[in-house]
Amino acid sequence: MRLPAAVLIAIPLFAQEPAAPPAQPAAEAAASTPAESPAPSTEQWFTGNLELGYRWLTGPAGSFPTYRSVVDLGEGPKLFGVDFTILDPKKRWFDRLNANGYGWGDEPYTTAHVDASKSRIYDFRFDYRNIAYFNELPSYGNPFAPAGLSEQAFDLRRRMMNASLDLLPGGHIIPYLAFDRNAGFGNGVDTWLIDAGNEYAVPSLLRDSTMNYRGGVRFEYNHFHVTLEQGGTTFKDDDQAYQGVPLAGDNPTPIFGQTQMLTSLAEAYAIRGTSIYERALLTATPFSWLTLSGQFLYSEPKTDVHYIDAATGNFVSITSLLAYTGVSDLATGSAKQPHVTGSAGFELRPLRHLRIVESWMTDRYHDASFGLFEALFLPASTEQTALPEEQIVNYNQEQIDAIYDLTSRITLRGGFRYVWGDATVTGGVLNSNPFATGQLRRNVGLAGATLRPLQKLRITLDYEGASSDDIYFRNSLNDYHKMHARAQYQALASLSLTANFSVLDNQNPAAGINYDFLARNNSVSLYWTPNNNKRISVTAEYNRSTIRSDINYLDLPAFSPALSSYRDNAHSASSQIDVALPGYAGLTPKLTAGGSLFVSSGSRPTQFYQPMARLALPISKRATLNAEWFWYGMGEQFYLYEGFRTHAFITSLRLSL
Amino acid sequence: MSRLHPTANVRHAKPPARRLRVARAAAGALLLVAAASAQETAGAPALPAGYAGSQACQVCHEDIFKAFQKNPHQLVETDRKRGWENRACESCHGPGAKHAESVSAADIRQPAKLAAAEADRICLTCHQNQPTHAGRIDSSHAKNQVSCVACHAIHKNGPNGLVPHGAAAVNAQCAGCHTDVWSSFNRPYKHRLPEGAMSCVDCHNPHGSALPGMFQTARANEPGCFNCHGDKAGPFVFEHAPVRLEGCTACHEPHGSANPRMLTRHEVRFVCLECHANIPAPAPANASLGSIPPAFHDLRSPRFQNCTICHQKVHGSWVDRELLK
Repeated sequence: MRLPAAVLIAIPLFAQEPAAPPAQPAAEAAASTPAESPAPSTEQWFTGNLELGYRWLTGPAGSFPTYRSVVDLGEGPKLFGVDFTILDPKKRWFDRLNANGYGWGDEPYTTAHVDASKSRIYDFRFDYRNIAYFNELPSYGNPFAPAGLSEQAFDLRRRMMNASLDLLPGGHIIPYLAFDRNAGFGNGVDTWLIDAGNEYAVPSLLRDSTMNYRGGVRFEYNHFHVTLEQGGTTFKDDDQAYQGVPLAGDNPTPIFGQTQMLTSLAEAYAIRGTSIYERALLTATPFSWLTLSGQFLYSEPKTDVHYIDAATGNFVSITSLLAYTGVSDLATGSAKQPHVTGSAGFELRPLRHLRIVESWMTDRYHDASFGLFEALFLPASTEQTALPEEQIVNYNQEQIDAIYDLTSRITLRGGFRYVWGDATVTGGVLNSNPFATGQLRRNVGLAGATLRPLQKLRITLDYEGASSDDIYFRNSLNDYHKMHARAQYQALASLSLTANFSVLDNQNPAAGINYDFLARNNSVSLYWTPNNNKRISVTAEYNRSTIRSDINYLDLPAFSPALSSYRDNAHSASSQIDVALPGYAGLTPKLTAGGSLFVSSGSRPTQFYQPMARLALPISKRATLNAEWFWYGMGEQFYLYEGFRTHAFITSLRLSL
Repeated sequence: MSRLHPTANVRHAKPPARRLRVARAAAGALLLVAAASAQETAGAPALPAGYAGSQACQVCHEDIFKAFQKNPHQLVETDRKRGWENRACESCHGPGAKHAESVSAADIRQPAKLAAAEADRICLTCHQNQPTHAGRIDSSHAKNQVSCVACHAIHKNGPNGLVPHGAAAVNAQCAGCHTDVWSSFNRPYKHRLPEGAMSCVDCHNPHGSALPGMFQTARANEPGCFNCHGDKAGPFVFEHAPVRLEGCTACHEPHGSANPRMLTRHEVRFVCLECHANIPAPAPANASLGSIPPAFHDLRSPRFQNCTICHQKVHGSWVDRELLK
């Protein structure tokens, strides 16, 4: 009796579809994430992972500021990752709570995340990011200024926090609240200018923060959805610059017998901004053959400006033929920018195989501002300037697409987009009119196809060709062709291939411009996981990109016609090989090797290499020792002094909690 | 970094072996009996004609059924309002009685094998009327037949959603198709995506957006760049027109550049002068903005080759029309 029963039970198993073979990519992606929140197989109330370790660096050799600008990883003990999940069996305060944090311990990228939910009661999410921004590159400074090689450098931390709370999720009416904060704090080097004749690299303190508050309600029903949201923003920028010791400028030549020198400086911005905004979203499916959608967005940011600086020293203004020993500037102003964005569209399905998608959008704002600037030159001279400003931009776009399923394996798409707009902006000083106006009118033809000649092969083709009657700027998109082709092929259950090809050709033959731009980007990639990823997996990709750009411009100081040529011919590759090593005691060590390289020639030849290797040695089912090696090396042919190279070693212990 | 191939969620079934046909029929009968008895035992309401119920699916697809218990779509199984109580599997796969009887893959709807539009129609039956889809009809994903299931693994990912979470996993998902874009991040100067500090969805909304390019938004209708670069948002007393007219990408290449400030040219001056090279009269009719100021800087001198050393408030200035301070 047992045998027939076993056969009966086993037969349906044979009749099932085979298990999805490419499941390994998802598993692999999870493994590559340092501590992805697990989905526990058993209902343990607490599960998690913790990874602690230490990083060593050799060097870096070469330019340390460039190393910090590009890589910026430091030495020392680190909490590389922690994540845990708590299930409340009694479901009192939450059903489930997930938390994770990565990169703690003076790392350049630090993140934290918490989410908690209680079914049909609430969903809460909290994200925190702390990112280091460091940039100090001599090629960006003025080599003639004392300490000028650090000009435009900055070293700051930007902290971003988002919190959101959805109430009654899964219901028809879902109120929600959210709060975002984004703040930057750090130091930099600014340029203090005296007329156009001299400049001083002065240290600065950078401080800004933006806070967003928003709340709304979502109505989600079977045939329509509406979201109504009201929000507000506060912004402040309190940048400062200071100099307490005498500083020579970049122009040591005496003017009128005066050697210019900055003795002291204090400069302070006090910018305060507020904004209110509204958002209304709609989607509706009144009939099975019709989908409607629309968005209305309105914001009205305002800014109030208070600015003061005071400097002493020996200065000369060439334009005013004025020698003076001190200057104090006072500025006040305000700016207001009502900004409306709206869009509406529908998807019509008149036939089973035909879809018509029509969409329209408009984006328009009117920036009005006023600035009052007063300069007091010591011993006695005053200049006052009052400047009203205005910037009006109206952008509109209408597009219609027809998408037709020719067969179940071929989908064709054709469409047309018309873009039009106008802008009024502050005119150049040479303009007779204080304002300049521009128009935008562009006709764009669209075509595309999605082909699935085989179940395992998918090809996507996308073409966009445009002719513009008016554009805003000389190097804007004018008469262009844009094409993109992508093929994805699942050659074997364990092997998938992807190829991309894209090209953008933009031409503006107008006299004096002669803009000729061509960019190509080709890439191939493969993902190979033989034997269901049990022993080895390989990811590899190669990319070749080229940019060729030529445009006429007027070279200063003589406004002589010149040609700006830009070339970028780049090769880029990355790979990763994961190998499961022979196991012991039921544990499987894993070796990972790979990295990336970037090599380019042209206007700014650059090489950047990042090879790596990682060994994961499990010492028990809940503990793994990791050892990693990275090498970072960068060089620029025209800026040799900005190259660097370094090894980075990491050892860490990963615990499953 | 490993990748998620876009077809990772697609199953490739083999045709059933003929020699199992009789045995499958017997097994199907067993399944139907099992399903019927399970319903009776549980006292569940009778299923509509053609439907087998989720418990019948469980008999063969135990692994999927178990995973589904922690899946957000489990709500469909238990929520009477949605109309699919005890039939969550069939809400996507269609009536399954015939499949349960024949145990043939040909007798059940497999969304991952359907054309994108048909697969999406199944998902959008419930999800169309949600805020994430307000910009869907403008999204290039929808227009290029990138189906929902190309990114969303319906049976997987457990309770935290149907898409990868965490920057590294999200980036791997996007890079599976956009290999050409991802390769730009191998350049030294780029946004910090490979480091896991950011993800593609910080800047792009894969479902579509109110703005072209599927850009995320900040403060309702500002470009999403200002979510992080709030100090560049303004409004400034003295605006720099291209920031508003053509966006940040007029000067910056956000995916990666040969320029340390991620500019579109190797040196600052060319970014500026390629635009600021019109004499007001006669100005080209089709590119009227960007006339040059009366500056006589000698660009042969390194002092003037980095325009932003002096014009340091190039994104807009609070106090100076020449963007000097």
